[in-house]
Amino acid sequence: MSAADAGGRRTYRVYRYKRGEPGWRFDMFDVPITRTVLEGLRWIQLHLDRTLAIRHSCMHASCGTCGVQVNGREALACVTPADDLGATITVEPLANIPVLTDLVVDMREFVARFPDEIPSLRAAEQLPEATPLEGIDAYDRFEDCIECGLCLSACPVSATSNAYVGPAALAAAQRLLEEPRGADTDRVLEWADAPFAGWRCHAAFECTAACPSDVRPAERIMALRGRLGGRGATS
Amino acid sequence: MNGSVPGADHRAERGPVLRKGVGIPGSGWFDPRGRALGGFAFSANRVTGLGLVFYLYLHLGVLSMLLFGEPTWNHFIRLATSWVFLSLDVLLILGILYHGLNGIRVALVGSGLVADRQRALWWSLGTVGTIALIGAALHIFGSK
Amino acid sequence: MTPSAPRPARDAPHVLIIGGGGTGGALAHDLTLRGLLVTLVERGEFTSGTTGRHHGLLHSGARYAVGDHDSAVECIEENAILRRICPGSFEENDGLFVALTDEDMAYYDDFVRGCKECGIPIQELTTDEALRAEPRLNPATKGAVRVPDGTMDAMRMPLRFFATAKHHGAHLYNFMEVVGLLVHAGAVTGAAVRDHVTGTEGEISADVVVNATGPWSEKIARMAGVDVPIVPSPGVMLAVRGRLCNMVLNRMHGSGDGDIIVPQRALSVVGTSSWTVEDPDDLDVPEDHVRRMWEEGAKLIPAVSHAEFRAAWSAARPLIGSRAGDSGRELSRTFKTIDHADDGMEGFVTITGGKATTLRGMAELCGNVICVKLGIDRPSRTRTFVTLPHTAFYTDRDRRPA
Repeated sequence: MSAADAGGRRTYRVYRYKRGEPGWRFDMFDVPITRTVLEGLRWIQLHLDRTLAIRHSCMHASCGTCGVQVNGREALACVTPADDLGATITVEPLANIPVLTDLVVDMREFVARFPDEIPSLRAAEQLPEATPLEGIDAYDRFEDCIECGLCLSACPVSATSNAYVGPAALAAAQRLLEEPRGADTDRVLEWADAPFAGWRCHAAFECTAACPSDVRPAERIMALRGRLGGRGATS
Repeated sequence: MNGSVPGADHRAERGPVLRKGVGIPGSGWFDPRGRALGGFAFSANRVTGLGLVFYLYLHLGVLSMLLFGEPTWNHFIRLATSWVFLSLDVLLILGILYHGLNGIRVALVGSGLVADRQRALWWSLGTVGTIALIGAALHIFGSK
Repeated sequence: MTPSAPRPARDAPHVLIIGGGGTGGALAHDLTLRGLLVTLVERGEFTSGTTGRHHGLLHSGARYAVGDHDSAVECIEENAILRRICPGSFEENDGLFVALTDEDMAYYDDFVRGCKECGIPIQELTTDEALRAEPRLNPATKGAVRVPDGTMDAMRMPLRFFATAKHHGAHLYNFMEVVGLLVHAGAVTGAAVRDHVTGTEGEISADVVVNATGPWSEKIARMAGVDVPIVPSPGVMLAVRGRLCNMVLNRMHGSGDGDIIVPQRALSVVGTSSWTVEDPDDLDVPEDHVRRMWEEGAKLIPAVSHAEFRAAWSAARPLIGSRAGDSGRELSRTFKTIDHADDGMEGFVTITGGKATTLRGMAELCGNVICVKLGIDRPSRTRTFVTLPHTAFYTDRDRRPA
């Protein structure tokens, strides 16, 4: 935080929507400068408006719950610095997923697009020079994807079609093919080889640009297509 | 069970879906806010695609003027060699070059052949296209 | 294949759980398996209080082996149970307790003995073995002990309990805030709530109301005019980019600041510090505490000092005890169920204290107290019931793990 910002203030322009009220609106809040956008939103919740609904959990880009659009750009609010966004910070819920209330989206529609099996653990590829202790064959770690939905929100194809499974689901499928761990790879390929699955992507690469967790969904979708292409004319 | 949990019915409904600020379903790719390079390339591909389809119909319409005899056609040709028209021709060539070269980029990337070099492809094919466009513009205006 | 639970009978007793952290979720799961009707209300997103913010340690209890025997035993027992009932939710890479100085080494024998007394399986290692297992560990390590620590996703592991409870008929409401308790003739009969989804208010009645709000326990308890000896005790955590270790790394000494590093995907989380506050809502992130995380973290893994910053935040532990202790570290980390009938208020129970790792055990204990109150003779089934995957929370499909 620079000296110029110390004691500075920001205007938060926040999307509001409550079921049963006529429609959505933008509320303006005058907020002291905070380190992150999430801290600013929680300050609003604590001091100005208890009814503001926001999702958050881990505070460090591990849980993926605080995804929003900040000044038109997908971001995790908990790790988005508030000091270089200009005097007015516009915060809206993610696009392409139904809004539950205020900045909260209904993640059911996001999770429903995934194939039946979602990879959760993978081989830990970092620190390959390590020798795990007796009883541990190889180190495990969680998959990069934190199911935040930023990719689906950024995807312009998802903006035109609800039926497209979206980047996260396809990246997850590709991960299952890269590292099956007992998954049924034929079934995953079958799932991906569909008009609104692997073939609907138009290479906009917005998903990779938006991903906060280095999943690189666009590159994975292209790699997935490489595998699908090699499948032959079975479908 | 009490059954009086407030808002239980409203919660079960499907809420509004935002499309990147415009709020009209299907319009998400119009909004340039928050876009990275790949997103602009995608939107420009759609715009040029629509433009080229429009041009195709226009061209067919123009060619149909041949049916109306020599004087009508000659009048059109005089129009077609004006500065304004030639400038539009250059714009058309920009559209063709962009759509074609970006199409090659998408084909290479989308088939999994060159999956992780999309930005490099954009800039290199863009350079090729720019040179071609300048050459075409010089040729078109040079012959005037 | 785990057997399913039958839906609760229409006239089953109704329990309202206030608080959607790990404790509330685990309790909802425990009670639905015993056939009770369960409603849970959480004012924000589930696990948005303290539960989601911790570094994700699946505790072996070793940290408490010397100073807090009860906590240590609770931890190691629950550690083993969680691995069975939440398969696939843990990085099972174990952990290391590392002695860096002579002072640390003076603690070594007590530590080893304490672990053995508490039933925590350990393995003493040479410095070489430790450095081979964790190449980025400080080469000046003097001694290391392997412990059965693990890493969890702090939000997704508890979410499995919510998912399972939901599939068995529990009604779980996030963004529903309790604004008051309904009290009638010396008994709590329900809660007044505000639904932040619709902006409307209403009342929910119940046979028993449970206060599972962690560091906010006292705030809720006061709505019924009773007291809960809870001291909110925040600590700071620091996340840096880079997966600098695969095992959990702990400094071998009594509890102190910055003495643990937990890998979280491609980040490393250094924790933590401790102070006490009155209000768990307005937490600072003191700069000097964050600096101390950088310094202490770098003692365990030197590479921390040039790692890129990702996030710094605070989370409030719910510590049981009076407000006598200054830093909060002196208070016990064990958990407790309080039946407020002892305070003259029927129909109201508080479950509090504890740690992320003991969520299931807390729920079993609280469930037992509630069943006794309601005159139900059904034991907990959560020790062996394999929970649904966390994604089941968001879908209607009952996708059970094989």
